[in-house]
Amino acid sequence: MNLQMPIVFGDVYKSYSIRRLKYKRLAEDVGQIFQRLVTRKKRTLQSEKFFALNGISFKVKKGESLGIIGKNGAGKTTILKLISKVTYPDSGEITVNGKIGAFIELGAGLHPELSGRENIFLYGAILGMTKKEIDEKFESIVKFSGLRKFLDTPIKRYSSGMYARLGFSVVSFMDPDILLIDEVLAVGDKNFQQKCLTKMHNFSKSDKTLIFISHNLDAVKKICDKVLVIEKGKIVFEGSTDLAIKTYLDLFPKSR
Amino acid sequence: MISYIKELISYRELLIALTKREIKIRYKQTTLGSAWAVLQPFSLMLIFSLVFGVFLGLESQGLPYPVFYYSALLTWLFFSTSMSFGSHSVINNSNLVAKVYFPRETLPLASLGAAVLDLMVASIIFVLMMAYYNIPLSFNLIYLIPIIFILILFTLSVVLFTSALVVIWRDLKFVVPLVVQIWMFASPIIYPVNKVPENLQFFYMLNPMAVVIENFRRVTLFAKEPVFSQILTAAVISVILFFISYYFFKIKEKSFADII
Repeated sequence: MNLQMPIVFGDVYKSYSIRRLKYKRLAEDVGQIFQRLVTRKKRTLQSEKFFALNGISFKVKKGESLGIIGKNGAGKTTILKLISKVTYPDSGEITVNGKIGAFIELGAGLHPELSGRENIFLYGAILGMTKKEIDEKFESIVKFSGLRKFLDTPIKRYSSGMYARLGFSVVSFMDPDILLIDEVLAVGDKNFQQKCLTKMHNFSKSDKTLIFISHNLDAVKKICDKVLVIEKGKIVFEGSTDLAIKTYLDLFPKSR
Repeated sequence: MISYIKELISYRELLIALTKREIKIRYKQTTLGSAWAVLQPFSLMLIFSLVFGVFLGLESQGLPYPVFYYSALLTWLFFSTSMSFGSHSVINNSNLVAKVYFPRETLPLASLGAAVLDLMVASIIFVLMMAYYNIPLSFNLIYLIPIIFILILFTLSVVLFTSALVVIWRDLKFVVPLVVQIWMFASPIIYPVNKVPENLQFFYMLNPMAVVIENFRRVTLFAKEPVFSQILTAAVISVILFFISYYFFKIKEKSFADII
């Protein structure tokens, strides 16, 4: 049996530059190089850093369903991005064992000019599915999405709910060892939300690993066996779902 | 380097899917569709023939102006369209790059893949033109294989560089088209290569695009063998450049999601 932990985070730090949250300007860089040459000093303009993650350590066991909750900007999505190797940490160890399926943002990977059908194949490929795999699952994906009528419509004509349905349908039919889900229940109607929840619930019951980020505390309660509460890039609580939700709600100042 | 290529191979399905997407969306909602792949070199050929041929009476090595210009525009437009689409390929997919993991070089590669298709479509016209002007064919056409190989490898190397650099410095968005313009004059498109002064020939031929265009003409229009020393030099330059730029791309790739 494989006893390796699917996900291990060891004292992970991740910062973003505040001064230049966006791309650099060429003139600025060239200017700095000259300045350094002339004054023979090291970097004169130290860019201010914002630590999105401030020393995070946790482990996820095989078959576990971990929820991550926290306020906006607490660092939840950064954790998922680090797991899926979209971005890399400043320091610390991250070990990931297994095939990852990530649904980090609605619509990432879908192309507005292409039809629903074309997008299923494109998005499947982006998620690492083979053409054959998608061919086999195509029927189920279409059925799950409930978008059969609009398969040949360019998806720029879709509503945001339809977008999410298409995206989630593809993700839910890939067969990863580790599934990462970031706030997908915000859109989609009650009916589709219910379908998603059932799907995730089934996944969490299997021996696969699930990481679920949501502000929908009821959904977290239903799906996760363990929850991390993140605040300002640090883990403030790790443990049972009920206690985690209580801790999370206590983070907000009592109104009135 | 081997691990990069291994990973890229494991993502070949994605590469195919992205190339298909590139081809589909490039001409989506345009009435003439992929006819543009032909219309671009063809209209440029007409203008070049008229302005440089008829008006200025430039020399064309005794060839009819249309084939003289079209033969160069074929390979040149592959390079320049790859540069314009490929250099922007990473930033144009910022949404994808910021959210999903996959080897990023698939994006510039997909742009190149679409350009290869354009090249093939545009080549059909070239074949028809050669037939129309009764240009004899020879077994030397076999040398088109190394010539096209150099063209693609060299273009890929340059595009890997520029696509990564444009992410870091957006200013380069404006520099790339300018460089391509200048590069066009540094290649034997409008004028034949014998117009370049003798003492500059050596340096002139260090430009792999000059080698590709000149030898493409030799092989197709003159039924001659290519200049092997030039082919070899260009191949060596392209291979070395490819390793450097691929390595550079993979180093820079890790920070793409944070700065894009």
